[in-house]
Amino acid sequence: MREQLLKSFVDMDEQEAVRIARELVDTDGGAVAVLDTCKEAMEEVGRLFEAGEYFLSELIAAGDMFNQIMEFTLPKLQGDEVTSIGTMVLGTVQGDVHNIGKDIFKVMAEASGINVIDIGIDVPHEKFVEAIKEHKPELVGMCCLITLGVDSMKRTIEVIREAGLRDDIKIIIGGGRVSQAVMEHVGADAWADDAARGVRLSKELLGKE
Amino acid sequence: MPSPEMLKLAEERAARYRAAIELKEPDRVPFTGMGGDVVAAYAGISSYEYCFDPEKSLQAIIKYLKDFPSDRPIGGMSGIGNAITQLAFLDYPDLTGLFAMVDGPTNDILGVDYIRFPGREVDEYSSPQFIGAEYMKADEYDELIADPVKFLFEKIVPRTTRNLRDLGSPAALATMARFGMHKARSGAFMQKQAAELLKLGYKSEPASFFLAPLDFISDNLRDTVNLVKDLRRYPDKVKAAAEALLEPMLKLALLGKNIGADMAFIPLHLNEYLSPKLYNEFYWPTLKEGILRMLQEGMKSQVFFEGWHDAHMESVLELPAGWGVGYFEKTDVRKAKKILKGHTCIMGGIDVGMVIASTPAKLDEYIKELLGEMMPGGGFILSPNIGNLPRETPIENIAAVYEAVEKYGKY
Repeated sequence: MREQLLKSFVDMDEQEAVRIARELVDTDGGAVAVLDTCKEAMEEVGRLFEAGEYFLSELIAAGDMFNQIMEFTLPKLQGDEVTSIGTMVLGTVQGDVHNIGKDIFKVMAEASGINVIDIGIDVPHEKFVEAIKEHKPELVGMCCLITLGVDSMKRTIEVIREAGLRDDIKIIIGGGRVSQAVMEHVGADAWADDAARGVRLSKELLGKE
Repeated sequence: MPSPEMLKLAEERAARYRAAIELKEPDRVPFTGMGGDVVAAYAGISSYEYCFDPEKSLQAIIKYLKDFPSDRPIGGMSGIGNAITQLAFLDYPDLTGLFAMVDGPTNDILGVDYIRFPGREVDEYSSPQFIGAEYMKADEYDELIADPVKFLFEKIVPRTTRNLRDLGSPAALATMARFGMHKARSGAFMQKQAAELLKLGYKSEPASFFLAPLDFISDNLRDTVNLVKDLRRYPDKVKAAAEALLEPMLKLALLGKNIGADMAFIPLHLNEYLSPKLYNEFYWPTLKEGILRMLQEGMKSQVFFEGWHDAHMESVLELPAGWGVGYFEKTDVRKAKKILKGHTCIMGGIDVGMVIASTPAKLDEYIKELLGEMMPGGGFILSPNIGNLPRETPIENIAAVYEAVEKYGKY
């Protein structure tokens, strides 16, 4: 049944994937099996995206399927059955109100085992600092869609540095308009202009790949 | 009055642009210039002032263009398009144009739910932004398909426009009266602005506007994430809705002929989201039909291929040679030239990220190489890959690009 779930998930057969997951989740050890299989499926979808076979619409559909299945799977898992490979504070930087890239990335990051603390859109610089102090993440993810986000990311990283927190964390920036040059300019550690690459690099920053 | 020299300069600039669109080599590479939020910053004003105070924004544009002249400049962003209301008032062609662009004061009057303005919903130094939401439920596709204009007016305008929520109310009538009064004032100001820019050698070039029907559904009605799910859940309805929206969208674009527009701007959005299979089934047919029908009516298109368009390049060749301008964001213009040379005028090439983050020397080298590859054979317009330089873009980097274009841009 695990193989069927994996196949229908990766093939974007939403109805079939949800049906099998519902069936599997109530078997002995089923919830863990569903969780692991869906994580594996999300990883495969990310790989297909990076290979140019899948597109953003498949990432969105996969994220939606993952969330649907987790809604009835997570309540059946024991606390110690959900493990995390690290914590990330994630937000769209001040001045930018867009959420789509952040949300696609978020579900893929969660599926990869990262504990994501989503602090929203148009996030003031200081709010990033407060969230880092409160959650003590290994990673901070900053998103922007519009070009002004570049200035805003730079300023946010400066404020984090002024608060003496820069050395405690790794920073990845993401969004349609970021690049290697932008990463160096703002002082981040990694950049990604798509969610699949973002998750892969986040895991690398956590030393997990 | 503009001097004869400036009138001549304006003609030269327009001719340069026209030659590239006709796939010829002009005297110099046409350069749109690089505008955006930096125009306001350069004049020392906030983005809020730029969006809400037309006199200040005009002075900012003049100051910027005096220091950074180009062939067809992009100013700063002072407003956001509003296709929903335009289509809702499609049967009143004297009004539809007035709804085309929502500037700051217009938004204060209408209260458009999907627009964020600096100094209002976002910081006064931020950019005006469009942020779609789910304004139409999945079970309303049939209503949209049956009569798009009626549906947009009766259902979507009240949901998206706070001060037109109750269409027959005194509040809504007052809103429309205020809207009319504001548009009379801003129309007069736009004439003044056109006259001032002509003094600097810039003719005002009326342009029309068309949206791929599927983009309209995605951005304005269903929200992107829902639309992507709809493609799998209700494929026939999505297809029928895109087809139903094509005629109204075409009628709207062709109204531009009344003001002398011979080019329609088409910003794409979903192109990057879709696999070739989904693109060719749901997105491209109505977009292609729109471009072809406008062309039959003498109107070319300038399509902004947002994000990566690499997977769909071959489909562009289904259009007749000389159809218009392909403006590329992330797709490498060199690669585009290989596929589309002699068929499509290519626009773009300057990576905004580099202008923000690089150095004058590197930018000089970059422009030199880019023009060396893109200019031969003509049919190329140089422009930033996205039309908005942020406020803190280093001025020396901007200057370096303009100087490099001056140095290396001669045919």
